[in-house]
Amino acid sequence: MSNIHSIEFRRSHSGEIDSILRNLMSLQGVTAAAIIDSDGLVTHIHRDFEVNTDALGASVQIVFGAASKAARHVGHNLANMVICENTEGYILLAPVEAGFMLALVTEREALLGRVRFELKETIPVLKKLFVNFL
Amino acid sequence: MHWFESQLLTLYQLAEAYSLSQKQEGNDILNRSEQGRQKRTEFIEAVQALVNRVINSAGVTACNAYHEGLILAQSGTTPDTDALGAMIQESVRIAQKGEAILHLGEIQQIVIVGGINKIAIITVGPLTLCIMSPKQTNLALSLSQYNG
Repeated sequence: MSNIHSIEFRRSHSGEIDSILRNLMSLQGVTAAAIIDSDGLVTHIHRDFEVNTDALGASVQIVFGAASKAARHVGHNLANMVICENTEGYILLAPVEAGFMLALVTEREALLGRVRFELKETIPVLKKLFVNFL
Repeated sequence: MHWFESQLLTLYQLAEAYSLSQKQEGNDILNRSEQGRQKRTEFIEAVQALVNRVINSAGVTACNAYHEGLILAQSGTTPDTDALGAMIQESVRIAQKGEAILHLGEIQQIVIVGGINKIAIITVGPLTLCIMSPKQTNLALSLSQYNG
């Protein structure tokens, strides 16, 4: 299948990705939602605090890469999600498609089950969008 | 039908509507994405609203909703939210094992009664509702009408 799409097609898909990130940002305690490419570059981001996007992108790929290796080492095959529990909140990472990742940053007050549920339900939709988009 | 039953029925319908929206096929990924998000939001907001209302019922000390053992919505005071999540997840898992052996049908409710408090566990689609109260509370009576 050709991966050459009209600018309108790409714009509408990019708009939907932005809507998804906006929706994730509306969850209690979520402070940033970002899509990161395989090189660790942030392609889409919604945030309500200043964050070094280069550092975020690079660390997301490093952390997920390490978790994926750990999963393989113990015979768990693929890593579907990584949750970092920090003193001040959580970082949730999930692979989308072709090396792209979805990263969510939350405060400690976030309801982990709520954020995880939304992330789990959102990933299949993002995968379909990216399959069409790339 | 009393108040809580009617609320649960609404939740079952919203959970079903969301489940159906996920199963839709077709090429219009943008529309399906938006519809799925909308149905999910309707379902989760209804769960949150019910959790916030149930706490007003006489004797109810806490009401939480969990997804796979992790907290999704809460009201009232729970001594240890994470521990409760793990316990109800395990309780539902064990009950589901018995479901096939005893021909119970799909597990809908579990009630654990302790010497001091009791917990009613109710499954709604992919979520689990949990209502805590003192042992003596007649939950059926307390939840029969809305006391907001």
